[in-house]
Amino acid sequence: MNFRTMQAANRRKTIGLLVGMGVLVWLVVYAALTYFGQGTAGIVPIAVGIALISVWGSYYGSDKLVLTMTGAKLIQESDNPKLFNLIHEVTIASGLPMPKVAIVVDSAPNAFATGRNPEHALIAFTTGILDVMDRDQLQGVIAHEMAHVANRDTLVSAVAATTAGAIAILSDMLTRMMWFGGGRDRNREGNGNPVALIISLVILILAPLAAMMLKSAISRKRESLADATAVSFTRNPAGLRSALEVLASDSTVVHQRSTAVAHIWIESPLDAKSVSKLFSTHPPIEERIAVLKSMESLA
Amino acid sequence: MKTIIVLGVIALIAVFIIAQYNRLVRLNITVDEAWAQIEVQLKRRADLIPNLVETVKGYAKHEQSTFDAVVAARAKATSASSVADTAAADGMVTQALRGLLAVAEAYPDLKASANFMSLQEELSTTENKVAFSRQFYNDNVRSLNTAVKTIPSSLFAGLAKVTEREFYEVENPEDRNVPNVKF
Repeated sequence: MNFRTMQAANRRKTIGLLVGMGVLVWLVVYAALTYFGQGTAGIVPIAVGIALISVWGSYYGSDKLVLTMTGAKLIQESDNPKLFNLIHEVTIASGLPMPKVAIVVDSAPNAFATGRNPEHALIAFTTGILDVMDRDQLQGVIAHEMAHVANRDTLVSAVAATTAGAIAILSDMLTRMMWFGGGRDRNREGNGNPVALIISLVILILAPLAAMMLKSAISRKRESLADATAVSFTRNPAGLRSALEVLASDSTVVHQRSTAVAHIWIESPLDAKSVSKLFSTHPPIEERIAVLKSMESLA
Repeated sequence: MKTIIVLGVIALIAVFIIAQYNRLVRLNITVDEAWAQIEVQLKRRADLIPNLVETVKGYAKHEQSTFDAVVAARAKATSASSVADTAAADGMVTQALRGLLAVAEAYPDLKASANFMSLQEELSTTENKVAFSRQFYNDNVRSLNTAVKTIPSSLFAGLAKVTEREFYEVENPEDRNVPNVKF
């Protein structure tokens, strides 16, 4: 598979997963209406509203917010001319504007990108990654981060987070209603089918879990897409592949202040083994290396 | 009722034509910008060369033929204007610079000098920028040429005064020549 078919496949899968999210929201609303009756329709916009406000505020100010959450410091060209040279190379290859650049003082090698659009993009590197990687490897990492910018992954993950958030809030509210008396009027007609009631209940309980899984699956697809897009920028899969090998062989993990931004790093800061593959925000690094190797053999 | 439908259809057709026209013009502008980027990067490299040659000369006085090759290639590159000429000269400069760096390999003092090391970083980033601007240009020429040749956009190419553009092809002598073996 070359990077063009890879990019197309990952984009298709993202759309499929986002549609899946939409279907899930619809299922939850439908289940709520079946279980509690039409009177609960009013809480749907409330749940969506809360999710929208909480997620889109952080989406809009993502570049600034992430700086505080990760402890990254903005730097200027004169602070690290070589790094800026490399980033400038990738902006020429991708046709993207120059992003803001930040450094996280941390010996674990890692990097991330954020920002609501290419004009407000921010890419950050740990001091560790700048120390251990050579020119080609760093170029691969930068291309991966700029690929997130080009693919507008901050937007995609904001959409995914909003839907997953709305589902979680909705399900939470409904479960509370169930326990604390607000429950459905058992004497009312029209929703008496016990099978429909049980299915609705199961949907309400499982929906937040399914939403989390879909959200993680979207994040994994965006990582694979970013790898493929990075190769379309540099046409050098070997650089990113050997960078990922460095990350894989390094066991140190970034000292995260918050797990809320775990998904934005190039290598997940969460211990991969403790999280089930279904909830992991990144594809296994070995798998990513294998895909890049198959692209190398094409060149 | 009938007139509304007719007007609606006319409006749709107009929107379609405008979209096709704008797309072609936009692609053409992107190719122009990509070309300007190539020129900027080639200029950067040309500006770097005298300094580099002087630095290497300070340590390696007897490599006159290598220096001459670099200077000659640079002169050709700065005078080239058409896409094909620029590409040909670009290939020559890349080749000559490779020769210069190969010479530098033989002088450890030179390689260790701070001036040379910073020049080498400048040179490798400039070479990458030249290569990437080339690649970006060619990708955009490919999109433009596809649009100019395929229906429906091809129907509006004349209207938008957009024609096929020339690819930037650098001939790498190493790709064609059989290695020169000397005994």
